[in-house]
Amino acid sequence: MTLTLFDWIIIVVYLAGCLIAGLAMRRYVRGVEDFAVAGREMNVNLGIASLAATEMGLVTIMYTAQLGFEKGLAGASIGVLMAAAFWIVGRTGFIIGPLRNAGVMTIPELFEKRFHRRVRWLAGLFVVLGGLLNMGIFLRLGGEFLVWATGIPPSWLEWVMTVLLGLVLLYTALGGMLSVLVTDYLQFLVMGVGIVITSILVLINVGGLDLITSLQNAWAGHAGMKLNSHPFNPFDGSSLGWGYLLWMLVLQVAAATTWQTVISRVLAAKDVDTAKQMYRRTSFYFVGRFLLPGLWGAAAFVYFANQGGLPEGTTTLTAMPQYLGTILPIGLLGLVIAAMLAAEMSTDSGYLLTWATVIYNDLITPCLRQPLSPRGRLLLTRLLVLGIGVFLLFYGLWYELPGNAWDYLAVTGNIYLASVFTLLVAGLYWPRANARGAYCALIMGAIGPITFLLIGKTYSIPPEVAGAAAFGLAALGMIFGSLSKPSTVNAT
Amino acid sequence: MQDPFILFWAGLILASIVWYGVLVFYVGIKAGRDIKTMIKSLKDDPSQDR
Repeated sequence: MTLTLFDWIIIVVYLAGCLIAGLAMRRYVRGVEDFAVAGREMNVNLGIASLAATEMGLVTIMYTAQLGFEKGLAGASIGVLMAAAFWIVGRTGFIIGPLRNAGVMTIPELFEKRFHRRVRWLAGLFVVLGGLLNMGIFLRLGGEFLVWATGIPPSWLEWVMTVLLGLVLLYTALGGMLSVLVTDYLQFLVMGVGIVITSILVLINVGGLDLITSLQNAWAGHAGMKLNSHPFNPFDGSSLGWGYLLWMLVLQVAAATTWQTVISRVLAAKDVDTAKQMYRRTSFYFVGRFLLPGLWGAAAFVYFANQGGLPEGTTTLTAMPQYLGTILPIGLLGLVIAAMLAAEMSTDSGYLLTWATVIYNDLITPCLRQPLSPRGRLLLTRLLVLGIGVFLLFYGLWYELPGNAWDYLAVTGNIYLASVFTLLVAGLYWPRANARGAYCALIMGAIGPITFLLIGKTYSIPPEVAGAAAFGLAALGMIFGSLSKPSTVNAT
Repeated sequence: MQDPFILFWAGLILASIVWYGVLVFYVGIKAGRDIKTMIKSLKDDPSQDR
């Protein structure tokens, strides 16, 4: 598939629009609070657009499509659990209510108020470690999509992604959260239109009933490729299974209340009610976040099964973009590519800003003997955004993904999710929790996922075992650590 | 089509497409207004450093 002049015009207009809008917000940044949490002026609908755009990256589309290719529509069960988690948290205000009321800029900042300054620093380190490793594969996976969907030479991948990241860095480093919110809005619109159009085209191309029949045949072994997982029933032993789904439910509740890029929208919200509304109204979006790209992946499976199998060099990850490249008509390809660039850019900008804010706020600030001047604080945060961008270029473009992309993301995110979630729950709702328990929870919660990353391939540790172990160990660490010290202070 | 899971996923696919379409228009208009309000609020804020 080759991009026509019309496609290029759409892409260039979109990129120019994002850049202009992002840079225009620079003038309103007067301090770190404007830069990091948009002066806490965000209303609910802008929050929905920003949250949806940030959490729907090109990397998301790639790994959810891979789940669809390998596990059929049942792979989207994770999205249903995620939607349920967001709705429950939005309904109850669990964690996000007291967190927003605390007036902090990051989660670790709360830990200094509740536990100790060193807990804040250690938690910040875990948050940054897990977050950066998690983000590390975004560029590579995004680039893979563009290469396979547009047919551009693979050798261009590094250059295309470098230019894209450069654009994102420019407006994120200058305008911070204000630029991120405004560009997220544009990206939400372009991405939404692209996803709807692509999904309709896929359904027309493959045929709804034909898709179901073909997946059933592939599951029964009567197609060009055998589907090894039940395509519709996630509880079947060949599919995700009960254990994995239960782990996913816990993980999604933890992510909804702990994942810093999500929480940064809570902290930027005008008040708690705005944050809760944002969660409830965005919840169903997360079903489509897994299901619609999952549909594309399942359709790609049927397409290649009808062709007799995957061509040489094509993997379960790259099958979907290659399939889309064959069905998208000239003219629409530009819109879909712009939509996918939107997905990539909104996620990158949100993540760059979030991790830079945590490094500044929780790793560097507590170590300073004298506070920096307002201008110095802003400059430092901007430099951190640039530094993370450089890290991403090297790690993201040279790292070879060892296996399933979703498992990598879930495990790296879990490095801090399990322990920080435990700290939040205990810190906000268990008066007996103390700093010793917090240290134990942080360290024990990271043991499971780090072990999985180091030896998981050698000893075949299932990701749900590593994940569940992390939550269990963190909770045990908090309980025994806190109880091992006599209670002296009334908790807040 | 007797499998309830098939009906479940088919319904969710259609609902998701409709929901995404509705959100683009509804949130598109409302969030545009939110941006205007946010910018106005930032302009009106007299503090030079926060």
